[in-house]
Amino acid sequence: MEQEFHYAPFRVEAGKVREFARAIGLKNPVYFDRQAALDAGYRDIPAPPTYTTVIDFWNERDFYQLFSQWGLDPNDILHGEQSFEYGEDIISGDVITAKAVMIGRFDKKDKRFYQLETTYRNQDAEVVRIGRATLIERREQHGAEIAGHS
Amino acid sequence: MGQKLPDIHKDALAPIDMVRYSGASGDFNEIHTVPKVARKKGLKEPIVHGMLLMGWAAEAIEEWLPNRKLAKFTVRFVGMAHAGEAFVIEGMLTTDNAGELQIKDASGTGKLMGSFELV
Repeated sequence: MEQEFHYAPFRVEAGKVREFARAIGLKNPVYFDRQAALDAGYRDIPAPPTYTTVIDFWNERDFYQLFSQWGLDPNDILHGEQSFEYGEDIISGDVITAKAVMIGRFDKKDKRFYQLETTYRNQDAEVVRIGRATLIERREQHGAEIAGHS
Repeated sequence: MGQKLPDIHKDALAPIDMVRYSGASGDFNEIHTVPKVARKKGLKEPIVHGMLLMGWAAEAIEEWLPNRKLAKFTVRFVGMAHAGEAFVIEGMLTTDNAGELQIKDASGTGKLMGSFELV
C-alpha cells in the first residue's frame, strides 16, 4: 500500500509554458510575455495553475513509468477528481522535484479508485503545489493483475 | 446566496485541439486522440482530457477575477466531453475569497464541477 514514486527534477521553461498556455487557450499575457510577467510582479514567466501535468508527463521519469510501476494501463484509467493547493509560484527557470504517494485505494462496484498525492518543491525546497488526484480504473480488465500486486 | 459571475461560452473543440493539448501537456493517452483505441476501451469516441477542462476552468477564474491568486482549486470530472460540443462555464462567488464553477454542454449536462479559494 505504501507506494511512492519520485519524478526526475524538471526545469520549467518559458517556451513550454507558452505552448501549454496556448493549447488551453489562456489569455493572461504573463504566460506569453516576460515583460508582462515582470510588470505583474513575477521574477519571470510563471507556470499556469494546471502546469504540473507537464511536469508529470514530460519528465525523464514520467507518469507512464508510475503507471507501469504500479501495474496500471493508462488507457484504462479515467481521471475522476483533481485538486491543487498552491504554495510558492512556479516560475520559468525553477527546477521542480516531485514525489507521488498512493494515499488510498478502494473498490466500488466494478471500478477501482486510486488516490494519489503529489508534492512539488522548487530548487529551494519550498512547496509550490500539492496535487491530489482520484484515478478510476475499470476493474474487469485488470482486476486479477492488480490483486496480484496487493 | 453568492454573486453570479458572467457565463463564459467556449466554442466546440476540434479533434486537432486534443492533439495539440496532448503534445503540450505530454498526456498522450490514446483514448483522447485515437478513435480506434477509444472504441476498444468502450467509449464511442475520443474524450477530452479532464485536465484540459480544468485548464479552461482556471482560465475562467483568471478572467472573472484578474490579479487574484488561487490558494486551492478542486474539480470533479462528472461527465465525458467530446470534440464538436460547445460548452458554457458558469461560476459564482460564494464569499469574497471563494467560489464554485461548472462546465456544461449545450443540453445542460455537467462535465466538470469545481470549487476554488483565493489568496
